[in-house]
Amino acid sequence: MTRAASAKLGAYAGLAALGLLAALATRRPELVAVAAPFALAAAVGLLALRRPDIAVEVTLERERALEGEEVEVRVRLEARVGAERVEVLLELPRELTVRDGDNPRVLHLADGERRELPFRLDCGRWGAFRVGRVCLRTHDALGLFRHETTVDRRLPLKVYPTEEAVRNLLRPLETQVFAGNHVARQKGEGIEFADLRPFVPGDRVRHVNWRASARRGELWVNEHHAERNADVVIFLDSFAEARRGGGSTLDPALRAAASLAARYLRQKDRVGFVTFGGMLNWLLPSTGAGQLYRIVDAMLDTQIILNYAWKDIDVIPRRTLPPQALVLALTPLLDDRAANALLDLRGRGFDLVVIEVSPLPFVQPPRGDVQELGHRLWRLRRDAVRGRFERAGVAVAIWGDESSLAAALEEVSAYRRHARLVRV
Amino acid sequence: LALALLGGVLAYSATAGDRLPQVVAGVGALGWTIAALALAGRWPSLLPWGLVGVGAGYTVFLGLRSGSVDARAPVVAAALFAAAELAFWSVEPREGPSERAVLVRRLALVAGGALGTALVGALLLVLVAGASGGLALEAIGVLAAVLTLAIVAVLAARARDSTST
Repeated sequence: MTRAASAKLGAYAGLAALGLLAALATRRPELVAVAAPFALAAAVGLLALRRPDIAVEVTLERERALEGEEVEVRVRLEARVGAERVEVLLELPRELTVRDGDNPRVLHLADGERRELPFRLDCGRWGAFRVGRVCLRTHDALGLFRHETTVDRRLPLKVYPTEEAVRNLLRPLETQVFAGNHVARQKGEGIEFADLRPFVPGDRVRHVNWRASARRGELWVNEHHAERNADVVIFLDSFAEARRGGGSTLDPALRAAASLAARYLRQKDRVGFVTFGGMLNWLLPSTGAGQLYRIVDAMLDTQIILNYAWKDIDVIPRRTLPPQALVLALTPLLDDRAANALLDLRGRGFDLVVIEVSPLPFVQPPRGDVQELGHRLWRLRRDAVRGRFERAGVAVAIWGDESSLAAALEEVSAYRRHARLVRV
Repeated sequence: LALALLGGVLAYSATAGDRLPQVVAGVGALGWTIAALALAGRWPSLLPWGLVGVGAGYTVFLGLRSGSVDARAPVVAAALFAAAELAFWSVEPREGPSERAVLVRRLALVAGGALGTALVGALLLVLVAGASGGLALEAIGVLAAVLTLAIVAVLAARARDSTST
């Protein structure tokens, strides 16, 4: 605990000294009456000085929350040696704010007194935080000394991004071998009708198409499309972001990634996750609710780290990108390295979809002719990047302020229905 | 409120005496202005000079006064002490809003301090009025003043030495 004397102590001592000296010089007893209280206050403050001993405990209502939810943090104080005034400050990251009440708070703590201070936190933005660093500053009754200490009782708090509304998911071009919800091109056990063929020994009787058999005079059976799962890799570009105020392009990208991962996992697909940027992070594709938690936890560590190193797709472990996987890239298309890596993936035959998280809402409107010209050039350059993807047969959907993720996905679906797969 | 109290002391010093009231008012007004500046600019280091200035105005008033003891000195002392407490409260670094109990205790402390100051001052003046004077008493007074300052200085030095982290 750090102790510091306030300016008041020196001032009172000085005032007392000057007053008493003036009393002696002028031989006026009234000045002693004026100076004595300052001397007395300083002396009493110094004699009554003691070091506060306050134990701090921090409890968190829950460890996980969604963006926009409230979480209560309770700070328990137990004063073995109290103080006249205790300032209690709960250190919080920028993303968490106290909704009701004040931070710091000032209270009186008598010896042996216990107090519990509730702080209702507003989880404004996703992220993995550690909450519970408490700064205490105590003042004595006369305000001559203050003691300061910081108590670290941090507890983890994970704030998950909220889900984006997604109506229809993108269908992968290729499916895998395990059972799932996608109608595969391959024939097998399923519901969707595929074709008719002559009966061969071993075929089930319930597959016989009696109407076709009666018409052709021999047994014909129905064939069906198999229902398989798919591999989906969510590729998050974290090279650069456009930021304005409290928001950035990374926020909607993460929300979309979390929503898509949850939806694909719900329909038994294997989902992997790659953060490609200044910090490379990946999760091998897997299924189940556990994978969703792993993905979302990995997302919380995502941050934009400035990095000038040239990175290509080779740095990603091979098993992270299984063959025939649908790669869903969420990118603001601000960094050429990410664009080149995605084109490289497309060149290697991956089924790639680019969802462009538009940085335009985060860009300040241009002022003046020069800025206007620069802005136009920048937009033209972005169009050129988009054109590179389209020439490679990659669907690019722009997701900005004016459209929803569902609309962007629908746009991609329409493109994929009509576009031809090309080899690049 | 601190400035009002200091203004009260200044007004009393300037109006109660009949000799050179302009000088008394000038010295006191200078101190009041410094205190006002310190409060407006939240400069705690400047504040004592304002108090010294107002106190100096009162000292000039006392110096120009004839031999009788100023019976209102305890009130002046209480006003100066309360003004100092309130002024230092004003220039403290901003802290969060205090609980009502903390505010009440602090206000009570200022009020109690001012009352105690007035009582101590009155007691001192009564003692002085009762004393017959003389070299011995004057020596005791000087010794008491020096001792008081020495004790304060020693305690302050010890408190500073024991500052630890």
